[in-house]
Amino acid sequence: MEQTKEIDIKIEDLCVQFEDKENGDVVHALKNVNLEIRQGEFIALLGPSGCGKTTLLRAIADLQQTSSGSISVKGQTPRQIRLQKKFGIVFQNPVLYDWRSVRRNVCMPMELLGVPKKERTKQVTKMLELVGLMNFGKKYPHQLSGGMQQRVGIARALAIDPEILLMDEPFSALDEFTKEKLHLDLLRIWKQTNKTILFVTHNIQEAVFLADRVVVLSPHPGRVSAVVDIDLERPRSLESKNTPRFAELVTKVRRSFEGI
Amino acid sequence: MKKLRDKEKLTSILYPVIFGVVFCILWQTEVLHLLIGADTFTLPVPTRIIGILIDNFAVIMGHVKATLTVALIGLVAGSIFGYFLAIIATLFPKWGVGGLTIASAFNAIPIIAIAPILNNLTKDVSKDPNTRSMVAKILVVMICCTVSMSINAFRGFTEVKPFSEDLLKSYAASKKTIFMKLRIPNSLPYVFIALRISVPGSVIAALVSEYFAEFIIGVGRMIRENIVLAQYASAWAYISVACVIGISMYILLLAAEGILLKGRK
Repeated sequence: MEQTKEIDIKIEDLCVQFEDKENGDVVHALKNVNLEIRQGEFIALLGPSGCGKTTLLRAIADLQQTSSGSISVKGQTPRQIRLQKKFGIVFQNPVLYDWRSVRRNVCMPMELLGVPKKERTKQVTKMLELVGLMNFGKKYPHQLSGGMQQRVGIARALAIDPEILLMDEPFSALDEFTKEKLHLDLLRIWKQTNKTILFVTHNIQEAVFLADRVVVLSPHPGRVSAVVDIDLERPRSLESKNTPRFAELVTKVRRSFEGI
Repeated sequence: MKKLRDKEKLTSILYPVIFGVVFCILWQTEVLHLLIGADTFTLPVPTRIIGILIDNFAVIMGHVKATLTVALIGLVAGSIFGYFLAIIATLFPKWGVGGLTIASAFNAIPIIAIAPILNNLTKDVSKDPNTRSMVAKILVVMICCTVSMSINAFRGFTEVKPFSEDLLKSYAASKKTIFMKLRIPNSLPYVFIALRISVPGSVIAALVSEYFAEFIIGVGRMIRENIVLAQYASAWAYISVACVIGISMYILLLAAEGILLKGRK
């Protein structure tokens, strides 16, 4: 039934090249990447550092110039989608503006969109409820823990109801306990909002636990080396990690790295 | 925890106050004079200095007004100009960075060197010697304040947290929006770093530039005039007034910082 859903993101023969500033060599950050992502799908982009997973995410978000190939998002170019403000991005660190309270941080994208004030206030409250920070709206970023800050980042990304949520190793700096909790929160939010999510990570367990499909990237040059379907039952809980299937899938994903 | 912090706060005020009081007692009882081998002619006791302050209050306030006018106008004008330079340097980074390096070289020129030059350059500005002296003195203060503001504000505009520009770009924010929503608020703590240098600096620059000014007015000038005439008690009175000006301006700055940077780490 998933197959019948329309294609949200289509990447064809995408290449991204840099010139090494020291010796003038051409570095292939991404080479001939092909990928189709369906609406509402949870995709994990998995790979070691330097495999171009962040570059791929940034290329989709139109924050990175591409060299050749094409990306289409909902039948449009990434630039068009960006200019229509339909991306929500969560970065490696929360990127909260420390002169703004939690509420005003979440509010920021809506200010850029020119959403009327009354509506903004309503939406901020809704978003803070979604991420479980109802009582922290008036706090400033430095008064929150790392996990809470990242939740604010997620709330901010979702505030403008983006078509696509791009997450770049959002939990990599957090401790295991916080991470587990945020995984469950993220799955709940994903189910409630039905967004297409691209989630960059270098953690195999994290990728398998969260995603519908794990896209394995390998470095030098950055390319897709495998795509693994994750058929773990939904909704997933921490118990899912104890099932034999989870272990099998983790092994399967790990195998795809062998020989890289 | 809170109690401990309150205690720390209290002692951090209390200890310097106790030290000051003890110092004044030693000074007043002339023990200090014995310790450093001074006499009461060159170092009059506090009560005598206070007596002079009271007796000449109106005259002294006239000089305070002149010094404050120079310091404040120079501080405000110099800081605004410096902030403006930083904006230009941020918009045109190719030229801006080099420009600011040259500007920082100005910072190395001692006030004593630029004050007489500016006196000379401004001698045709006005027929009134007081006005043209004011202009020269304000320009000295301005130069001192412009540099620290331009360098610090530039850092505030450019040293933004990683990805914070990307965040705005991902919402298709214009250059202007990035300036308004990110760079300007980010620069505010840096503005205060600059002001912490410039506020005491503006008072010092005002006092020193008065030494060289054509028209005889101001707290700094009075320190010099009285020392030349060997009126040490009066000189000390003006020195203490100069201290009060500098300290109160700094306290005002800290208060403003506390209000405007509330909530930031």
